Amino acid sequence: MDFREKRRSYWYLVGPAVLIYSLVIIFPVVVSFVLGFTKWSGFGSPVFVGIKNYITMMKDPVFLYDLRNNLLIVGTSVFGQIPLGFVLAYILYRKMVKFGNFFESMIFLPITISAVVVAIMWNRIFFGNSGMFTSLMRMITGDQRWIMAISESKSGAIFPVLFVILWMYTGLYMIIYLANLQKISPSVLEAAIIDGASEGQILGRIILPSMINVLFTTAIFAISGSLKSFDLIFAMTNGGPAHYTEVVAIYMYINTFKYYKYGFGSAVSIMIIILSVGLITILNKFVRRIERKYE
Amino acid sequence: MKKLLVLALVLLLAVGSLFAAAEKEAADGVVELDMYHYHNLADDTATGQWNEIMAAFEVSYPNITLNIEYQNNEPFHNKLQAMAVAKQLPDVVYLWPKKRTGYVTGAGLIKDLVPFLGDKVNEFSPAAMTPQGPNGEIYEVPQQVTATHVVFTNNKILDELGLTYPKTLDEMLAQGPKLAAAGYIPIAMDNGDGWQMQSCFLSALTERAGGMDWYNDVLVGKASFSDTEFVNALNVIKVLSDNDMFSPGINQAPYGNALSDFENGKAAYLIDGGWRVQSLVEELPEALVPYVTLEAFPDIPNQVGQSQSTAVVAGTGFGMNANLEGTKADAAWDWIWFYSGEEGANIRVGHGMIPSYINADMGSQHPLLAKLVDFLNTKPAGYVIDAVVDGEGMGVLHPGIQEMMFGNKTPQAVADEFEAWVAANDSTRNP
Repeated sequence: MDFREKRRSYWYLVGPAVLIYSLVIIFPVVVSFVLGFTKWSGFGSPVFVGIKNYITMMKDPVFLYDLRNNLLIVGTSVFGQIPLGFVLAYILYRKMVKFGNFFESMIFLPITISAVVVAIMWNRIFFGNSGMFTSLMRMITGDQRWIMAISESKSGAIFPVLFVILWMYTGLYMIIYLANLQKISPSVLEAAIIDGASEGQILGRIILPSMINVLFTTAIFAISGSLKSFDLIFAMTNGGPAHYTEVVAIYMYINTFKYYKYGFGSAVSIMIIILSVGLITILNKFVRRIERKYE
Repeated sequence: MKKLLVLALVLLLAVGSLFAAAEKEAADGVVELDMYHYHNLADDTATGQWNEIMAAFEVSYPNITLNIEYQNNEPFHNKLQAMAVAKQLPDVVYLWPKKRTGYVTGAGLIKDLVPFLGDKVNEFSPAAMTPQGPNGEIYEVPQQVTATHVVFTNNKILDELGLTYPKTLDEMLAQGPKLAAAGYIPIAMDNGDGWQMQSCFLSALTERAGGMDWYNDVLVGKASFSDTEFVNALNVIKVLSDNDMFSPGINQAPYGNALSDFENGKAAYLIDGGWRVQSLVEELPEALVPYVTLEAFPDIPNQVGQSQSTAVVAGTGFGMNANLEGTKADAAWDWIWFYSGEEGANIRVGHGMIPSYINADMGSQHPLLAKLVDFLNTKPAGYVIDAVVDGEGMGVLHPGIQEMMFGNKTPQAVADEFEAWVAANDSTRNP
């Protein structure tokens, strides 16, 4: 096969995928980027406004508060779901508890339920005048006006949402880690045990170095997923009360599709991409440093 | 090459037969209309009424076939806007009278129905026929006139505690501890979505605090939402909230919780819109019906507006695509008139609605419906804020009210923020 034939085969094989990817990913991002510099309500021609949308966004206290909520979700995902998922996977892998299969299924179960169903379920438990948790607390305290006060606190309203996010997604990471832990050759572990390695040494010297790439990949999932989180929160609280549980994706949705500010909404979506790429780049550098340590 | 030719021929035949079928239908005298309707098919109450109207229409107009697409809530508006952008509106569209669907009515995509209405304008209540466009256009024929503020009162509870409906805010506040001590919620209300407090309460309070002259001045910028009148209106909500008069967790509660509490006899008052009569007709225990009355909120301190005032807005209805002409336009008007005119109105009365069509047969009305008719006929009314200020402004006002109720903002701060947005952005102030 000569060079020209090779190149033709290459384009035949890769071309359709590149074309589809360009149409559904690259093209909308480019259009969004361009629209981000315009004012457009969906009618007529977009009007070029330079970086005004970005300035308005950065001056809007609602956007900044939403960003704070997003960063808390990123924190919960990276420093909550990932370590917890790993610890649970390690416990199951090292058979430290009985009925491992039962626990594995139970912890993984929430991720199999639709986010909207999960959101409505927890909304019914936590919020409103007749929620399950509220009713229980009223019975215990005897106070018929008892409500979950944290849900009406500006700084605390996001925490019940973070709890649900932790509950829902930890199982996903646990399964990923468990699958990768099972790839580690048992003979390596057996050799370490024969050599007298402690549980801590097995974890620190064998298992963690083998899992660096998986941990990195899941951290990317966690960051990008957290920054675009929408469905669960939208269905659970709709960002309320008073924007207290709102995240940037809801801010974008409301501005774009409720107030018909397509230019502004596009600028917000580009900001989500910039934040996502920025955080993943920082994470990448951090992981390279750790990898060098183990080389 | 041969295969391609055969394929092209088959496609040509298929397309040709489709056109032939369409022509045949037209020749048969049947007119097909595409309709985009705001309706939740899971809502049994609304669906029962809708099905009855549709069945009656099919009998009266067998020559008109309606191809209906249903949507509700935000997806309805998202899709309608996409249709408007693509200039592919269906023949008949469900519309709001003021700013809610201004993105299509304001863009010249909907036909003015004034020439179709003619003298029939007089067959509707004047509130329903207020102009919907800058030159007196009527884009949709409102099926009803809605009072967004009603204080539904359970007099059985009041009688039990030796209370009567209060005449002033102070009297109402004084009832709070007695009601709470007896285990009742003084005022059942939901505000989890944010719009309820503005639409069902603040709108009426705004007229009450400032009067219609001041209200009209505010809308055009000669007065301001920062004025003491609007702050006074907000302060009523703040005082009621601070005195635990509302349902606990009011700002977390989804719409519907408060209605359940009222229907189950757990609350003395329910502040909601007149449309709730439809639910009460179906769901309120029979024994409680005679005890329920419909009131307006009592007088408030420093009141300038009218005593007992509520807030009203013309209801929704159907409009037609501006491009429709000839038979299709006539068929679309037949549907619009059937829906909002006498036939549709008579069916709606049977389902607990007050139609805007004044000659409807009100003979078989439910007692609660009769009370709503009396309420609408006797209470003076102001504007509903979200009907006269752009929707985006509600994104400032609704959370502001919630923050005020949590104690994080003063009424003046909420008023100032709202005024700042209206002054800079509202389309009435900035045409």
